[in-house]
Amino acid sequence: MPLFGELELATIAGGLPVMKDLDTDAWELPKAEILQLACEIADGSRVLLPRALHPAIPEYVTFVVTRYPESPVGPFSVAQLRLMARAGVHPRGYVLGVVASSAGAVAALRERWGYPATIGEIALRRYHDRVAATVRQDGRSILELALVDPEIVSGGDLQYIHGVTLARVDGAAQLVQVDPHYTVHQASRGRPAVSRFEAVAWNAGPVELTTPIAASVSTCDTDLPRIRFVMDPEMPVIRGTRKVR
Amino acid sequence: MKFGLFYELSVPRPWTRESERTVYDNALEQVKLADELGFDQVWAVEHHFLEEYSHCPAPELFLTACAMLTKRIRVGFGIVVCVPEFNHPIKIAERTAVLDILSGGRVEVGTGRSATWTELAGFNASPDVTKKSWDEFVRCLPKMWTSEKFEFEGEFWSMPRRTILPKVYQRPHPPMWVAVTSPGTELDAADRGLGSLGLTFGQFAEQERRIAEYRRRIQLCEPVGEFVNDQVSTVNFLYCHEDDAVALTTGRQMANHFNYLAAQLMSVRETYPSKSYPSLGLLPQLRRQATGPDASEQAGEGLCLGGPERITRTLRRWEACGVDRVNFLINTAESIPQADVLASLRLFGREVMPAFAGEKS
Repeated sequence: MPLFGELELATIAGGLPVMKDLDTDAWELPKAEILQLACEIADGSRVLLPRALHPAIPEYVTFVVTRYPESPVGPFSVAQLRLMARAGVHPRGYVLGVVASSAGAVAALRERWGYPATIGEIALRRYHDRVAATVRQDGRSILELALVDPEIVSGGDLQYIHGVTLARVDGAAQLVQVDPHYTVHQASRGRPAVSRFEAVAWNAGPVELTTPIAASVSTCDTDLPRIRFVMDPEMPVIRGTRKVR
Repeated sequence: MKFGLFYELSVPRPWTRESERTVYDNALEQVKLADELGFDQVWAVEHHFLEEYSHCPAPELFLTACAMLTKRIRVGFGIVVCVPEFNHPIKIAERTAVLDILSGGRVEVGTGRSATWTELAGFNASPDVTKKSWDEFVRCLPKMWTSEKFEFEGEFWSMPRRTILPKVYQRPHPPMWVAVTSPGTELDAADRGLGSLGLTFGQFAEQERRIAEYRRRIQLCEPVGEFVNDQVSTVNFLYCHEDDAVALTTGRQMANHFNYLAAQLMSVRETYPSKSYPSLGLLPQLRRQATGPDASEQAGEGLCLGGPERITRTLRRWEACGVDRVNFLINTAESIPQADVLASLRLFGREVMPAFAGEKS
């Protein structure tokens, strides 16, 4: 069998987001801009991954910085760090850390989708030769990254892998699958560059970036969907998955 | 219809000093038996870094051992990765020739370009240009085998005029194939006069449509070699047992093991946006078979799991689809004990193969 995660749930159980229920309504999020950057990492991240999941081969993370110009809580931006994994046979991004740019967004992301969101300042800027993002929290920069030398690609060339996030639901820790839809209108890819990454600020202490893989940026219509699946974080997903709807 | 074995050489964790050796030893014993039973080919892939799924980075070495242990079975060197960071084309031509000599002219050559980020990035190769380098390689190889002197100046490699030695034992040269997983690659094979070495499992209707298009297209080909190899090969799981139920249970366990390990791989497309890899290839089908609606069927459509009669019926369907050869995966991650694998092969050889013997393929 492939390797499994080695997260000691007790070490983070106290700080998990608490979801009100799994009856979350979907949010339609048109005209979003998504900057995604993938990077291989050094060994040692398995201690962050729930036992239900397998690490990717090789281990890697994705940074996803999204600007939503329209939403039920107004415009906001979100930055995520995801440790890429497999839930059984399916690729999934396990959410380690999330920063959102408004208090309304932070509350909704925590209560409705189980994201470990905290407040911060996010900038996503397009230049002629790069698309750059910065994330600041408590007055200091915790992430600076860029897609360099963008070239247009087909929207069909992009893959957005579904996320899973660990939250407390009905008093128990659950992995919650968040699987948005995407209609891509414009897409580019480019060389990935990370100039600053404060791992601890993303609940990712052992994560050490090694080999950059690729970066992409898109303009798309997307959503934050209704919850469809939850999983027991301590059990292989083939036995521990529950279909919500 | 001809039959062969297909090896990824998967090694389950926990890895011990002996576990890889056991997998190789078992495979050699299986190949020796397959030769005695009249199987036509044994194929071994080239993969790197694919933990558990495939510990087979040097197929030509494994196949040399196979050739030394056998008399008739042909040895399929491939898929050789035709990407310069993996293999220099001169080395491919030379190694192929040596294997052809040692095996007495029993080599077949399968070509491909790798579909995983795990492997391509491991060799620092760009996914964007693998199809172009593969094309350059397959056009050069036959000339390197057959020309007394060879020189080349290309986009991915060049060489001054030299004599590449030794020459292949077969005349004019070994049959060449292309690994086909993504839809459309069979047409790349057809356009170049190369055999279609299908690596996807099951699904008669889809395969039949693709084979028909391949057959139509290869009529118009400009062959890269000195002859057209217009054969269609497909891969399948094999577990044959007198009791259908036992065969299905055991065989499905093997297939699920394979699908599960394959799904752990990191395809190029998962993370690196490139028009060079427009589809996920094999993986979506395997994921669906492992967890989707197909998983609830008694056995996936077209899989050779069951008693002799059931497998014969399945192979007749493949024959009707236009398949010339079927290469079997007969174990994955040692999930079936070696004695049972050998018994399955013997039963297949005794009860199924005679029904297809002597037929024109």
